[in-house]
Amino acid sequence: MRILVIEDDAETAAYLQGGLQEEGHVVTLAADGRNGLMLAATGDFDVLVVDRMLPGLDGLAVVRTLRASSVGTPALFLTTMSGIDDRVTGLDAGADDYLVKPFAFSELAARVKALGRRPRATAATTTVLRVADLELDLIKRTVRRAGQPIALQPREFRLLEYLMRHAGEVVTRTMLLENVWDYHFDPRTNIVESHLSRLRTKVEKGFAPELIHTLRGAGYCLREPG
Amino acid sequence: MSRVRRFRNSNFQLALLYAGLFTTSILVLFALTYRTAADYAAQDEADEIDVEFVAIQDEAHLAGDGYLPQIIANHLRQRSSEHAAYLLEDAAGQRLAGNIAARAPQLGPQNLRVPVDGQWRELRAHGYRLANGDYVLIGQDPRALRDMKHLIARAFSVNAAITLLLAVLGGVIISSRALRRVDALGRTTQAIVAGDLSRRLPLRGTDDEIDRLSANVNAMLDRIEDLMRSVRQVSNDVAHDLRTPLTRLRQRLEQARRRGDATPQELREVLEGAITQVDSILETFGALLRIAQIEAGGRRRARTTLDISALLSGVAEDFAPAAADRGQLLLAEVTPGLQLSGDREQLTQMLVNLLDNAIRHSGAGARIVVSAHASTAALEIVVADTGPGIPAPERDNVLRPFYRLESSRTTEGSGLGLSLVAVIAKQHGATLALADNGPGLRVTIKFVKNGAAARRSDAHVTLSDAFVQR
Repeated sequence: MRILVIEDDAETAAYLQGGLQEEGHVVTLAADGRNGLMLAATGDFDVLVVDRMLPGLDGLAVVRTLRASSVGTPALFLTTMSGIDDRVTGLDAGADDYLVKPFAFSELAARVKALGRRPRATAATTTVLRVADLELDLIKRTVRRAGQPIALQPREFRLLEYLMRHAGEVVTRTMLLENVWDYHFDPRTNIVESHLSRLRTKVEKGFAPELIHTLRGAGYCLREPG
Repeated sequence: MSRVRRFRNSNFQLALLYAGLFTTSILVLFALTYRTAADYAAQDEADEIDVEFVAIQDEAHLAGDGYLPQIIANHLRQRSSEHAAYLLEDAAGQRLAGNIAARAPQLGPQNLRVPVDGQWRELRAHGYRLANGDYVLIGQDPRALRDMKHLIARAFSVNAAITLLLAVLGGVIISSRALRRVDALGRTTQAIVAGDLSRRLPLRGTDDEIDRLSANVNAMLDRIEDLMRSVRQVSNDVAHDLRTPLTRLRQRLEQARRRGDATPQELREVLEGAITQVDSILETFGALLRIAQIEAGGRRRARTTLDISALLSGVAEDFAPAAADRGQLLLAEVTPGLQLSGDREQLTQMLVNLLDNAIRHSGAGARIVVSAHASTAALEIVVADTGPGIPAPERDNVLRPFYRLESSRTTEGSGLGLSLVAVIAKQHGATLALADNGPGLRVTIKFVKNGAAARRSDAHVTLSDAFVQR
């Protein structure tokens, strides 16, 4: 993917560029808001990574200006811990996701990937999600594997839906907490793991091959075998 | 006290203003009195002249008009010491008697300036025409009027002088006393500014305005001193709590550097350990910032009326599998449909922290119950577990940041979870109480209905408050 990183701190920018390039992306850097805006306005990028605090034109203004001129490139906001309402204001301005600094690189990589594939995953016409022999009907709220109905709790259904919408991608624990539970903080109790193991038991037990994978230190991934 | 200061002093200015006002009112009073008295005296004198004329007329009536010159001369003689003036002229204007020169007859009241007894005098006079055509002029010295005017003027000027003197003197005395008190207040506040927060403004016990103001300032200083102490406590706690993991981190990294023969695998393990350590430090910072954010943003954020029953049941449901994995039973016994005005995210975090605590500190086989019920006056949320509980003397301490029971030192955690709960409760005007669940811990959060808005100012809480929590 072509990624534009708008970040004024040189060290952080180099860290992001190096890491994303290792993941196989093409990375362009912009050191301030004005340059970033000019580059982003060309529409030549798949994902924007925008720091909230920028010299010249701040990240919020950059994203707002882009959205006002109908540039819909998915944007990931980077905020600091002390920014109280950054999440809300950032999303209001038109950002698609946000990440609080400092973050683990794997978290950023997963989110950038998810954003880059967004348009296809959110296609409005999709009413049934399918991965291998697993089928989730968004209208009837039913799940089947190999044709057999599987009964899920509402939360388990939403968890599976999110995993299937991001099939083939790595989703992190915080992505699940934010999108499935709407928790914007990290509980000490690992509720994700507990729900996932129950979901696994229901979806995988007695079936083959395994679809839901745990990637140690990175997150989870639901993918077709092979 | 310098002279300049005395004159700038507001009390003194007030005294001067009063002196001016008093003097003006005395002048007005003087003018009125003077005028009334003068009018009265003038009338009195006119009456006297009339009486004199009537007497002359009566005598002439008895004796015959031919005796008029003698009658006039008699009267003149009787009043020789009073510098009175008499004039009798016949109809032709011929002077018949009197002590002043003949003059053109003029009737009615008039002022005379004539030489009497060898001296020019200002007289009040009245001219009369007798039945036989003779003209009589009687004048007399307005001595009584003059004396009275002098008397009044003197009385008033003495009065005005005394008033002015008293006003100025009083002003000086009052203002210097007030200045002394203000100076005393100033010295104390300067000492406080210089860093001595234990100083308090002096009170006289008179309960006057300055005393009451001083008492208020003292109460404010008590509060500030309290907050300062807790801020100092916070800094110490933060420093202490972060030093331990940072020291450990440094030791690990240094050890790895010293060992020249470490395998890549071993180095990797050291680095992973270091990252875990850093994450735990960042977590502590995150919790501190979160507390600060909630108290900074709590009052700004719009509150919504939310279905607290659904929120509690939902969170309990989210945590039930995790509790079950630890061999615990998590139940929600919530009256459905309870409404509460508050911040959804904060209330969620509050319950999550309480459940985190209950799950982490209770062993396998424990029973954790989330319940909520409302009376007409209050809404109570209770999280009760059958774990080890907290000994009564420690219950207040655990609300303090970084405070951890000896028994839970080894478990992970920032030691800030309950502090965050306390801050969120306070932001919502709720009280937080820890009690014995016999066995276990029972945490009750009590929201007073309808009182929340009115008590917002009482509920105002600061980061430091969370840290004092007595």
